[in-house]
Amino acid sequence: MSNKLKMLLAFSLALLPAAGCKKSSSASGKTVIRYLANPDVGGFAKEIIKQFEAAYPDLEVEMVEGPSSPNTREDMYAQSFMSKEDTYDLVYMDVVWMPKFAAQGWLKPLDEQFTADLQKDFLAGDIEGSKYQGKTYRLPIQSDGGMLYYRKDLLESKGLKPPQTWDELLAAAKALQKPPELWGFVFQGKQYEGLVCDFLELVWGNGGTLVDAAGEVQIDKPQAVQALQWMVDAVHKDKIAPEGVLTFQEEEARHMFQEGKAVFMRNWPYAWNLLQGDKSPVKGKVGILPMVHGKLGKSAATLGGWGYGISAYSKHPDAAWKFVEFNGRPEIQKLAFLKGGIIPTRKALFADPDVLKVSPHMKQWGVVLSGAHPRPVHPSWARMSDVLQLHVSAALSRQETAQAALAAAAAEIRIVLKNSPQK
Amino acid sequence: MKASRAGQAFFALAIVMVALWSLAPFLWQFITSIKSPEEVIAVPPTYWPSKPSLSSYVQIFKTRPMFATYILNSLIVALGTTAVCTVFGTLAAYAFSRLKLPGSGVVVNAIMVIALFPATLLVVPLKQLIMGAGLLNNPWALILSYSALNLPFSIWVLMTFFKQIPMDIEEAAQVDGFTRWGLLWKIIFPLSAPAVATTAILIFIFSWNEFLLALTFISRDAARTVPVGIALLSGVTVYEVPWDQISAAVVMTTLPVVAMVLLFQRRIIEGLTAGAVKG
Amino acid sequence: MKRPAGAAGSIQWLYAAPALLLMGLVSVVPIGQTFTMAGGFDRIGGDATLWRVLRNTGFFTFWTVSLELVLGLAIAMLLTRPFPGRGFVRAAVLIPWALPTAIMAMAWRWIFNSEYGVMGDLLFKLHLVASPNIPWLAAPGPAMFACIFADVWKTTPFMAILLMSGLAAIPKDLYEAAGIDGAGPVKQFFIITWPMLKPTIALAVLFRAIQSFGVFDLIYVLTGGGPGGRTQTIALYIYDIVFRYQEMAYGCAVTLVMAGCLCLFAGGLFLLLRPRSA
Repeated sequence: MSNKLKMLLAFSLALLPAAGCKKSSSASGKTVIRYLANPDVGGFAKEIIKQFEAAYPDLEVEMVEGPSSPNTREDMYAQSFMSKEDTYDLVYMDVVWMPKFAAQGWLKPLDEQFTADLQKDFLAGDIEGSKYQGKTYRLPIQSDGGMLYYRKDLLESKGLKPPQTWDELLAAAKALQKPPELWGFVFQGKQYEGLVCDFLELVWGNGGTLVDAAGEVQIDKPQAVQALQWMVDAVHKDKIAPEGVLTFQEEEARHMFQEGKAVFMRNWPYAWNLLQGDKSPVKGKVGILPMVHGKLGKSAATLGGWGYGISAYSKHPDAAWKFVEFNGRPEIQKLAFLKGGIIPTRKALFADPDVLKVSPHMKQWGVVLSGAHPRPVHPSWARMSDVLQLHVSAALSRQETAQAALAAAAAEIRIVLKNSPQK
Repeated sequence: MKASRAGQAFFALAIVMVALWSLAPFLWQFITSIKSPEEVIAVPPTYWPSKPSLSSYVQIFKTRPMFATYILNSLIVALGTTAVCTVFGTLAAYAFSRLKLPGSGVVVNAIMVIALFPATLLVVPLKQLIMGAGLLNNPWALILSYSALNLPFSIWVLMTFFKQIPMDIEEAAQVDGFTRWGLLWKIIFPLSAPAVATTAILIFIFSWNEFLLALTFISRDAARTVPVGIALLSGVTVYEVPWDQISAAVVMTTLPVVAMVLLFQRRIIEGLTAGAVKG
Repeated sequence: MKRPAGAAGSIQWLYAAPALLLMGLVSVVPIGQTFTMAGGFDRIGGDATLWRVLRNTGFFTFWTVSLELVLGLAIAMLLTRPFPGRGFVRAAVLIPWALPTAIMAMAWRWIFNSEYGVMGDLLFKLHLVASPNIPWLAAPGPAMFACIFADVWKTTPFMAILLMSGLAAIPKDLYEAAGIDGAGPVKQFFIITWPMLKPTIALAVLFRAIQSFGVFDLIYVLTGGGPGGRTQTIALYIYDIVFRYQEMAYGCAVTLVMAGCLCLFAGGLFLLLRPRSA
């Protein structure tokens, strides 16, 4: 055997024992609570952790900043729970993950600590989105709902009224846009969960729905087909949105709008603080509206929102709860809003003077959010969503007509519901 | 073969094109990595940076502090696999090629047929098995799986080399009183060192590059290997981690492989040829 | 070599035991488990996604393997001729094969970026497209093209190496004899190179087609299967079923479908390309 190879062998064997060790308590003997989150752009999450660790000196919080794509983080959590590991004590989760995670038994019910009495102070929609089969699995800390951002200055320059309907948005966009420097409308057109949110807002805004109260799939009805057709036309026929929008998630849309390259943008509330930041070229020029609606309905928002759950495999559920509870406190929610633009979940904060001073339109947001539509709370949501993403995306890239795309989506979702273990 | 001047020019051009085609994506990553974050998103793209700088190579360790850990993990897994696979493979290849084992032909053929199928088919049950053994997030999960998946190939390459060693060497050695183990260790191994080295190089490259099993068996960030660590950046937007840094990460993780190819080009070609042609 | 069989024979198996044990555990046991774990076969017929991903995978496999064969053959024929610097060029050609697919897929994402990508700019400068902003990964046709392009780049070297060894095995005097008989290079290729190379080609195509059919990392990173599921392959679908939808049993059933496809394919190719002369 050559000397090179022997060295390789010796080196590799020496390295082996070093790998695979893990910590569940830090060097100082503190209990470590770990969770996976999106990149902490403004740094407010770290600020909250600092305050928490000051309040609880025996606890340490380790926030793993994962990829910004929620789908990837959902997979990362799921992988870990499938292995029954205690990697994560807390689950920082999107409202739509909860039913799947709860159905798999990966989450600890929180009803004992997060009592009905405490829940009363939170927005009803956020609480509803925290329950699966009668039990509460998360404490909501961020409300979310889609809305329409627009350039006040541009609309005023042509004496245009803020649009309420699809047609009005179309007319305003066409009147103002000068592609490629300035586009009419940007949204989230990539094949991912955000596309479904954007699409469902238009469907609800036209009087349609995905699954009705009786559990029947309604997404192939004319209300929904018109909504999809409007989206497709915005890109291909009316050309108010660039074709690149098919690769856009929230941040791509936000950057384009913030650089002054779009008149209208569909996005979540988080964008507001960033657009109004000191370095933002559009600071002070932006207004917000409920999403525009079609002829058959009225404006609607998709209920988003994030919250903390506790892993069923955590070795420190009580310590984890302390952090959850801390994040739900009014003063912390206020901090998260003022520093990170995180929309609170406590009703009282929507009338808080400090909050209203920064965002005078918080009252309206409260109204929009309390009327926001939840996506179906179903353990097979991931699969239903994938089907919808696929066909809506296929229609947007003109592989399928709007009608055919939704007919196929409806048929496939009916099969998903039929095969689902839980109804 | 006599070639005209035009023919020769065409030939030279074709060679240059082939080399360029092979290197271009890697070179482009390198060029991107030495641009400034602003120049990276210049439209149209610049083909050489106006102010080349290596700062992205430092920055990536700051924006992604785990990057160094990923590299270390990859090294551990790749070297561990190389060790296990070479040792097991050499012993087995020796048994199959030099010792007259009854039924070994059937076994070898069965191994080769199994090796034909992609690892995709094994992931799900294998994950269950590894979970049962409590090896998730442990480098051994990857080392053992990679070793098993690369063993058929290694055995085959080594067998073709062992068969080229003339039998009379062993017979002479036996006359001189070598034990079977001594024979293997003192005669066969040294003679087949080049073949073992070739196999080791190929196994290292395979395990350094593997993605699917590393993605599914490792869920803890601190235990991830480099391909998965970098691929999980695919969810990020251009605005979070600038592409000059991603490119720097790509260049750094591919550089060891590029170096190995440049150094061991002949060996690799020999190994691939031996391993595949007769498979 | 004369040795008593029996006891010594079983000791000899010990040399192979570690390798056999490990392969049995990692490869054979899981294959058995797939059968016991599989369920939901009645869903396969009505699973529109499954049929779509099978179509995508077939399309991807056909085009990658065909293009790789043509390019690989060309490169192999170039590199068997001696020329100064051949060692370096051979090493350069090997590099795409040796680089990690998942990491290079990130590189391709950047090359195919619709706004800042170099591919659009190059084609634009060559006057092949009207605008440099091509939504490569957002439009179905271009996205599939990007996947095929990246895969062909990656695996052509492997094909070329196999074919090079096949070419090296063809006796030179065959060409000389043909040259004396007045056959030009094109005719020489069809009467000598192609028939002599056919067994190597069959093998290389079989190898590559099976790998190509199981493609995962490249597409997972490059497009994630989008847009509109147009680049989703069966391996990506299995990953989704098991790890996203948490349907272990059905995932195993689809795995068996995939294994069945591969067996059918390998059998078919074997019948089609088996050496007839022997």
